[in-house]
Amino acid sequence: MSTSAFHRPEARIGAALLAALGLLALLAPVLSPGDPLAISGLPLVLPFTEALHPLGTDRLGRDLMAGLIHGARISMTVGLLVALVALTAGMLVGTLAGLIGGWTEAILMRIVEAFQIVPGFLLALAFVSVTGPRLSTVVVAIALGAWTGPARLARARVLVLRESDFVAAARVLGHHPLEIALRQVLPLALPPVLSLTAIIVAGAILTEAALSFLGLGNPNAVTWGAMIAEGRNQLRSAAWLSVLPGLALLLTVVAIYLLGEAVADSLGARDRR
Amino acid sequence: MPLSLTRRALLLSSAALLAMQALPTSARAATSGRITIAADSEPAQLNPAIAASNGTFFIASKVIEPLAEAAYDGTGLRPLLATGWEGSEDGLSVTFHLRDGVRWHDGKPFTSADVAFSALQVWKPMQNIGRTLLANLTAVDTPDAKTAIFRFSKPTPLQLIEKALPVVSSVLPKHVYEGTDIARNPANSALIGTGPFVWGDYKPGQYYLLKRNPSYWQPDLPRAEELVFTVLPDRASAASALEAGDVQLAAFSAVPLVDLARIGAVPGLAVITKGYEALTYQLIVEINHRNEPLANLKVRQAIAHAIDKKFVRDTIFLGHATEATGPVPTNDPTFYTSDVTPHAFDIEKAKALLDEAGYPVGADGKRFALKLLPAPYFTETRQFGDYLRQALAAVGIEATIVAQDAPGHLKAVYTDHDFDLAVAPPVFRADPAISTTNLVRSGLPAGVNFSNQGGYSNAELDKLIDTALTTLDPAKRVELYHRFQQLVTQDLPLINVVDWTFTSVAATQLSGLATNPRWAVSNWAELALA
Repeated sequence: MSTSAFHRPEARIGAALLAALGLLALLAPVLSPGDPLAISGLPLVLPFTEALHPLGTDRLGRDLMAGLIHGARISMTVGLLVALVALTAGMLVGTLAGLIGGWTEAILMRIVEAFQIVPGFLLALAFVSVTGPRLSTVVVAIALGAWTGPARLARARVLVLRESDFVAAARVLGHHPLEIALRQVLPLALPPVLSLTAIIVAGAILTEAALSFLGLGNPNAVTWGAMIAEGRNQLRSAAWLSVLPGLALLLTVVAIYLLGEAVADSLGARDRR
Repeated sequence: MPLSLTRRALLLSSAALLAMQALPTSARAATSGRITIAADSEPAQLNPAIAASNGTFFIASKVIEPLAEAAYDGTGLRPLLATGWEGSEDGLSVTFHLRDGVRWHDGKPFTSADVAFSALQVWKPMQNIGRTLLANLTAVDTPDAKTAIFRFSKPTPLQLIEKALPVVSSVLPKHVYEGTDIARNPANSALIGTGPFVWGDYKPGQYYLLKRNPSYWQPDLPRAEELVFTVLPDRASAASALEAGDVQLAAFSAVPLVDLARIGAVPGLAVITKGYEALTYQLIVEINHRNEPLANLKVRQAIAHAIDKKFVRDTIFLGHATEATGPVPTNDPTFYTSDVTPHAFDIEKAKALLDEAGYPVGADGKRFALKLLPAPYFTETRQFGDYLRQALAAVGIEATIVAQDAPGHLKAVYTDHDFDLAVAPPVFRADPAISTTNLVRSGLPAGVNFSNQGGYSNAELDKLIDTALTTLDPAKRVELYHRFQQLVTQDLPLINVVDWTFTSVAATQLSGLATNPRWAVSNWAELALA
């Protein structure tokens, strides 16, 4: 990745925030050992009043800080897994469609469009309410609405690259089509598709929070969306219960966008050079 | 007469003109008496004779009346469509004397034929409670238009029939329903009854409108002109609607418990805890006895000892509940006994019991794993599910919560038996025989909601339940139900945690509230906007 991305101040802010959040998520079991859902204190302790519960407790006396830290873990995991699934599926379908062409391409791209016209959140909602809320199903559900972008972009890149001279040369040299696809086309089609990662991760984190908010998250784990939903009933009397996880969500998504945009810009600049 | 226009006359006349314009609106406000009520759900079935449930009664009981309503004083019953009743010595018949001069909303007179039709064609074959309660009802004789005699094939205690009247006996007009498909009759949504309010309108997702019945059989009632039930499915919005004055009444704890202290301090609003005494809900843990550890009494005792009822009462219900001692709520005036096996909160005892039962702590700190299904109907049942998971973890039992929507939950627990522990909020309906004994009796087919679907079977308990159902002497019945409570707390087919009722928040200009122990689901004839 080009270092030029980090010359921009917003990229540095995004990277710093994300690194901090990532560290928090990675070190969650160390920073806040034990079950974050454990009832560890009095209910509704105000933030910044008790050393044991720096951010206070919720209605049942569960520590808000522990919830936020472990929630970061879930959010990050879901975001990255969705990106992995969506990018892999999208690249595969897009590359196949672009390389093979003909009927295969037509059918594959119609499938892509079919997924694209249904709002991604609706797909996720329907999928989770049928399969039940678990980490795996939530990831698949969100990926269902996220893989179409990479697929279209990959196909577009492959269509351009397919006609380029070096591919023609490889073909003349008698390389196997699969070898051409993997060694010549894919490495060049990959970077622009990867630049979608940030958008997908940020979108996935938001969708996961929305699903949890609606009660379709995993009830055995803390998630920011569920924390906001639980706090909503007390919005007038204990606003911090919703506001703090809301802020965490906001910061994470903004950080990812800032970084993602800077990376995408610098990739574009390199391409233009 | 020449028209002399002085400045004073002009001023006077314009003032009079202003007053004239002002008068109609202020007069309308004083007499219109439209009361807007927050409704948190739209029941699928609005006919209270078919669906005897609080969600249906909340709206329909204003239009369709039962034979008698619960009361705070005297016998605990206030006659409505029946003026009196008496049971025979042998318990095989109950004679109801019906009120004279009552007319249906479409003008036809109310007679004993309507009662006979409702009992035999609707309550007994179709109603969720009547199906079991009136299973032995064989005929309803109508010697004259104002007398209905219920005949039973087995002795049926009058005490039980009386306790059930407010819930079971919503009377339908025979001339509207006879010869039709009762379940699909259009009058199931555009209700026709004898009550203080007539059906107005229903806009799905928006409101129910009920209008004053000008020819109601009780003179000078009802006192309100119109009742509008505004559909506000979001519990957080009921409080704001009350504060904004859009809604004058929110019943059934539509305002979340956490908001009560704040809303009670708002000028012009009052929190009312009366009017729900006969609508006690019980927070219970349902147990699937097909699960090997749970079939062991010691494990069930351990779970009972692991639950801190005081925490549940104070933290989840914010004090608006009482700790349960057994399957009959402590506020029941007739059947309750405190002489039962207690299960005090004691983590060490719970651990010891689990060790004794042969489930030692494994290498990972856990004894065994369970699937826990909290009912999704109330915030409190879901929160108790979260609490129970932690309480079980404290004694080494790993519970995994399975969250589902209401239909999914009902199917998983009561049809598919796909649970180990479930959290349920059954209603105690004044007599254990109405819906409480079903929670522990064996032999009920799969698919019957809110019944024993945990595979529990206890011959002694079954026999006791059956005996009480045909015991006529009220004192003997009470004794049998004392024994029932003792057996249930000894053998723990389920665990009773707390009992709770609801609260209303009402504008202070409302009067005639909480006039009986089932007030929220009664006819509201006295409700008025002062």
